[in-house]
Amino acid sequence: MTDTPTGAPASAPLPAAASEATQPGERSCPVCGAANPAEASFCEACGNDLNAPGATLPPSGLPQASLFPQAVAPAGMPSGGPSPAAAGGPVAQAGAAGQAGQAAPVSHDGAGAAADGLVAVATPQTAPAGEESPLDVGWTGPVPSAAVGGADAGDDTLCQACGLGHIVDGYCDHCGTPPPDPRFHVTDAAATWVGGVCDIGKRHTRNEDAMALRAAEPAGSRAVLVVCDGVSMATDSHIASLAAAQAARGVLDQPFPKGAGTPDAWAAAAGRALTLAVHEANAAVSVTVDDDVPNPPSCTFAAAVVEDGIIVAGNVGDSRVYWFPDADAEPAAQLGRDDSFAQEEMTNGVSRVAAESGPHAHSITRWLGKDSPDDLTPHLTTLTPTSGWLMVCSDGLWNYCSEAEDLRNLLRERAARVGEEPVVLAQSLVDFANEQGGRDNITVALARLAGQGSNDTHGAAETAAPEEGAPING
Amino acid sequence: MADFTAEVFQNEFLPDGGTDLHAIVRVTSTGASAAGSGTAPIAPGSAAEVILIDTSGSMGRRGVQAAGEAAKAALAEITDGTLFSIVSGNGTAQIIYPYSHQGALVPMSSHTRGEATRAIEGLRAQGGTAMGTWLTLARQIFATVPHVTKRHAILLTDGVNEGETPQSLAAAVQSCIGVFQCDCRGVGDQWRVEEVRGIASALLGTVDLIPAPEEMAAEFEAMMRASMARGVANAELRVWVPQGAELLFVKQVSPTLEDLSSRRTEVNPLTGAYPTGAWSDESRDYHVAVRLPARTLGQEQLAARVQITLGGEPVTQALVKARWSNDEALTTRIDPAVAAYTGQAELAQMIQDGLAAKASGQDEVATAKLGRAVQLASATGNEEMTTRLRKVVEIDDADTGTVRLKKGVTKIDEMSLDTASTKTSRVRR
Repeated sequence: MTDTPTGAPASAPLPAAASEATQPGERSCPVCGAANPAEASFCEACGNDLNAPGATLPPSGLPQASLFPQAVAPAGMPSGGPSPAAAGGPVAQAGAAGQAGQAAPVSHDGAGAAADGLVAVATPQTAPAGEESPLDVGWTGPVPSAAVGGADAGDDTLCQACGLGHIVDGYCDHCGTPPPDPRFHVTDAAATWVGGVCDIGKRHTRNEDAMALRAAEPAGSRAVLVVCDGVSMATDSHIASLAAAQAARGVLDQPFPKGAGTPDAWAAAAGRALTLAVHEANAAVSVTVDDDVPNPPSCTFAAAVVEDGIIVAGNVGDSRVYWFPDADAEPAAQLGRDDSFAQEEMTNGVSRVAAESGPHAHSITRWLGKDSPDDLTPHLTTLTPTSGWLMVCSDGLWNYCSEAEDLRNLLRERAARVGEEPVVLAQSLVDFANEQGGRDNITVALARLAGQGSNDTHGAAETAAPEEGAPING
Repeated sequence: MADFTAEVFQNEFLPDGGTDLHAIVRVTSTGASAAGSGTAPIAPGSAAEVILIDTSGSMGRRGVQAAGEAAKAALAEITDGTLFSIVSGNGTAQIIYPYSHQGALVPMSSHTRGEATRAIEGLRAQGGTAMGTWLTLARQIFATVPHVTKRHAILLTDGVNEGETPQSLAAAVQSCIGVFQCDCRGVGDQWRVEEVRGIASALLGTVDLIPAPEEMAAEFEAMMRASMARGVANAELRVWVPQGAELLFVKQVSPTLEDLSSRRTEVNPLTGAYPTGAWSDESRDYHVAVRLPARTLGQEQLAARVQITLGGEPVTQALVKARWSNDEALTTRIDPAVAAYTGQAELAQMIQDGLAAKASGQDEVATAKLGRAVQLASATGNEEMTTRLRKVVEIDDADTGTVRLKKGVTKIDEMSLDTASTKTSRVRR
């Protein structure tokens, strides 16, 4: 996030970009559906060999036949399993492309998919049958072996890239690929109404975003959504962000004290809890590192808590919390504001597009870490919402769609396509960011609120409800 | 028991689209000499030595006498209990010790050492040179002790192999590969480096020049001492590369240059095994080059797994990795060890090509090749090789490789340059 972008950040090209599934020149992984650059040899999400028969020649110019002397696997074969038809070579996972659910192979210049790479819609649900659980439809990465049924179950050394070798000394003994870092792609379906996806994106070699979710049923009763984005200029920020997110969740997981039982008392308690969460997160970041590291790890902080239908949000840095009401009449809004040069410029009258594409657009002015500024009070917002979507995200998403209204449109468009299951919708938004280039790590956490929270659903929240229906504005 | 360790010198970063990865793997053994020799007599019959002495007419009385002294010096170094045999070779080969009723090999003891010494004193120079027959006899001798894993021979010659066809010699060498190791020494200036190098190289041994007969004894002593120190027999180098990758070559680059690529035997489709012979406490460097299908930026891959195996069991391994990056500061760096050995390999090639061209009268080619050799030796600070080159060429400008062929160069100087060409200087990290 806070690295200096190599090029000017794309302004959000909505809605045209959002309606395009896969950019021309990109190729979808036939196994997991993730979009990859046209020159990719292996899927960046799952490590699948994109140059298996039916795909293009590898850029190295090596003779295809000698490199990949394998048979095409039958469509529908689980990619993780050994192929009976390919005793001596890697399984041609391209064979699974034929069953890609919504995939529409696009023909380029009449040459077809075989000549131009397999181009398919990058939305999830395209994983081969048998590889995903119903709860894991947002999956675009490798499935943990525990989730894989059949012969592969229990064999956690099986290579997820080629499906033929086993991981020995940290690498596949057949294709040499290391197992993917589980951080590369994390999905969390915390509850039926809360879910999120944290993804490495397409350019970074490490996922420095971290997400920590917790939610209870019924919908609207209680949820914690925390997103932290490690500062790429600093050392080991991927460790810092995860420590921060988990520490913050630990604090926010406790029901807020009700105090006198008034809305104001609740809001004050919620605010204190968020501030405490920031400080605990900051402490957690600081202990990840020894003293006197020149570039100590650091990260942003954005969190939202839903308690009995009421939202409290807070942030430090440039990870964001958005509220997207269903009703057009109500405006979409960013809750809180960025601690960034771009925000400062906007405060000084520079347009959002100009500010967010400036050279220091990604420089943040406050962060968590050993060298953090003294004032870490989060920008707090309390809100009693109507029905709509609560989103906590990193700049990996909003880089491509910053305005709240644009982002609401994007979310609606995606929801119309993939439905309203939070983790599926979050994945779809991650896909969007990857389709735009995926220059940064991407995290999207969503909570679906029906309005007045548990009041509407009569959810007997475990905790005592605050004063019902009283709007609280922070 | 010997301990093996392996370390890798490489730049794992490849540029976008980069496919070729080079690595130097340094294998070091410790405790290997304790496994076979040293103070305590070794278990009888765990090692076998055959000394092959040229007794062709060209050796002359003085030559044979010096060879005999050398053989005696070698005998003194052979540890008690080691099975040994002495062969005299000319147009044919005969076992001169042990005596025929004792079999092909006897264990070394003070008694057998004395008998062998007396047998050597009876050697006479006569006949031609057919080294293939010597090697064949050595193979037959070793075949009588199939349980002995450590088998080593020393071959001494002074002349060209004119008693048989080159094909016949090649066939004999071929039949000995994997049966025993053979260190070869040429005495004087009448033998052909290329010919003897072929034998030594195929049989995992060394080749060197002994300028004068009286230097033989010291050389034999050293050679035999080195052999006795090798307590580990038949270590194998194994190289795995991933599916889709191509192993461009495997070379030993230190202490001597040997291209091992053609000695590959397949362990499985992804893994090849290369014989490395016996090991003492020493360190050897291998240069492995792998061509990989390029992956996308940021991706990582295991490019090669290099192992030493004893009896098929890996005892150490090194992992050669590849990682694609668009950071030029990372991808443009050439590992110093890779660079140095690449230069030394080219240097050896230039010297051998240059001397061959000179021998066939192609003076222009010889001047160009040796000039390049001078340039390489100078650039890498290889003063020993520069000194040797200086005996063959006049160096006008080492930086540009401008040289003139020297007149009246002694054959010994050329041969010494030739035999030294494959000895590399160890590269430090």
